[in-house]
Amino acid sequence: MNPQPEVVLVDDEEMVLTSVSALLMLETECNVHTFLSPAEAIRHLETHPVDLVVSDYLMPQMNGIQLLAKSKELQPEAARVLLTGHADKASAIQAINAVGLYHYLEKPWENAQLLMIVSSAVERTQLLRQVQAMLSDLDNANDSLKDIQTRLIKAFL
Amino acid sequence: MEPTPAPDLELEHLRAQVAAMSKDAILAQLAAGVIHEINTPIASIFSNIDVIERSLDALEAQLGPASPPKALGLVKVIRNLVQVDRMACQRIAGIIRSLKLHARGEEEGMRTAGLNGLVEDSLLLVGSEYKRRITFVTDLGDLPPVECNPQLIGQALLNLLVNAAQAIEGEGRVTIRTSVDGDWAVISIADSGSGMTDEVKEKIFRTAFSTKALGVGTGLGLPLTYRIITEQHHGTITFDSQLGRGTTFEVRIPIKSKEQ
Ligand SMILES: Nc1ncnc2c1ncn2[C@@H]1O[C@H](COP(=O)(O)OP(=O)(O)OP(=O)(O)O)[C@@H](O)[C@H]1O
Ligand SMILES: [Mg+2]
Repeated sequence: MNPQPEVVLVDDEEMVLTSVSALLMLETECNVHTFLSPAEAIRHLETHPVDLVVSDYLMPQMNGIQLLAKSKELQPEAARVLLTGHADKASAIQAINAVGLYHYLEKPWENAQLLMIVSSAVERTQLLRQVQAMLSDLDNANDSLKDIQTRLIKAFL
Repeated sequence: MEPTPAPDLELEHLRAQVAAMSKDAILAQLAAGVIHEINTPIASIFSNIDVIERSLDALEAQLGPASPPKALGLVKVIRNLVQVDRMACQRIAGIIRSLKLHARGEEEGMRTAGLNGLVEDSLLLVGSEYKRRITFVTDLGDLPPVECNPQLIGQALLNLLVNAAQAIEGEGRVTIRTSVDGDWAVISIADSGSGMTDEVKEKIFRTAFSTKALGVGTGLGLPLTYRIITEQHHGTITFDSQLGRGTTFEVRIPIKSKEQ
């Protein structure tokens, strides 16, 4: 069983945070952390593993793309979703490739679509983490195999 | 008594033009600002309405059919109110859409796009608002992609479609055709609406000329459409209108851009 998905939600408008977190709490198993400022969100990302970051685009200190770039740096496997206003569309689209966006949603968003994106993003992150864990298990197994091999070789030499 | 000097007609005309242009520009800016400000609260309300309905479903499932009738009655009252809220919200969203027509679309710029797709997009917006009383018929021909500003062409089409729909009282029909005629892509929008008197025909492209009620029309739609088609796209816009029978607008856009 996977642990409870951790979602970070960033928007400088309290009402958006309230609306989206109410939806996620009702319809998903996610543990939702909301932040009014990108700086606070980054502080959280520095210390807590997260499955998904959903961010507004236009915010006072730092825009959503900059925040998601920072998130990619701190936790590359966490999925990144941008939630933008109509007017920011063009600038947002330009930056999509730069931060490897998982998805892009325009306000007003459809709750059903948001829910689908959240659940597939979380699943993707958790699968990525599982694969990583398996790979490092494999690495470890490989390492111990090599150990045994060297010891055997030494024993015979 | 001093003799009044003869009015300099050309100067008057120029003045009026300048005044009209800046009025347009101001309105466009205002509209863009209003859209931006309203968009987030509306998005939030839309979402909340949906979450409230989902919560009511969950609540009803918890209560079960054997619950006190008062409780079930309250759920029903809330449900009805939420539905009213949703409709109210859709009205506001409709107003925002029509405001978007007047907000200038400079962000996107020129690129190659299919006009049929733009027709379909605009129709989707207008159709949902008028489909109860108006039948929209499309006859879309094989068009090559055209060098254009899709956002602006979309605005122009929306203007024409909304005008067509508003010209129809009660039930009626709007037919949209696209075709190629030599070097031109042709879009025609025909309505079975009221048509225009000769007096109205003369004035429709003037800024702020409207025969519609205050709050319905600002008279900016056609002047804006005219500029989009002729100035930005080197195309033409013409119309034919018969009082009591209907109106057909025809837009022609050059298939090859002027630079080529
Ligand atoms: N399809 C049509 N049938 C009949 N009259 C029309 C049609 N299209 C335009 N008109 C006339 O031309 C006038 C000007 O149109 P225009 O689109 O510029 O402004 P409006 O529709 O009144 O307001 P707005 O477009 O700003 O909401 C209209 O008020 C109407 O009298
Ligand atoms: Mg109009």
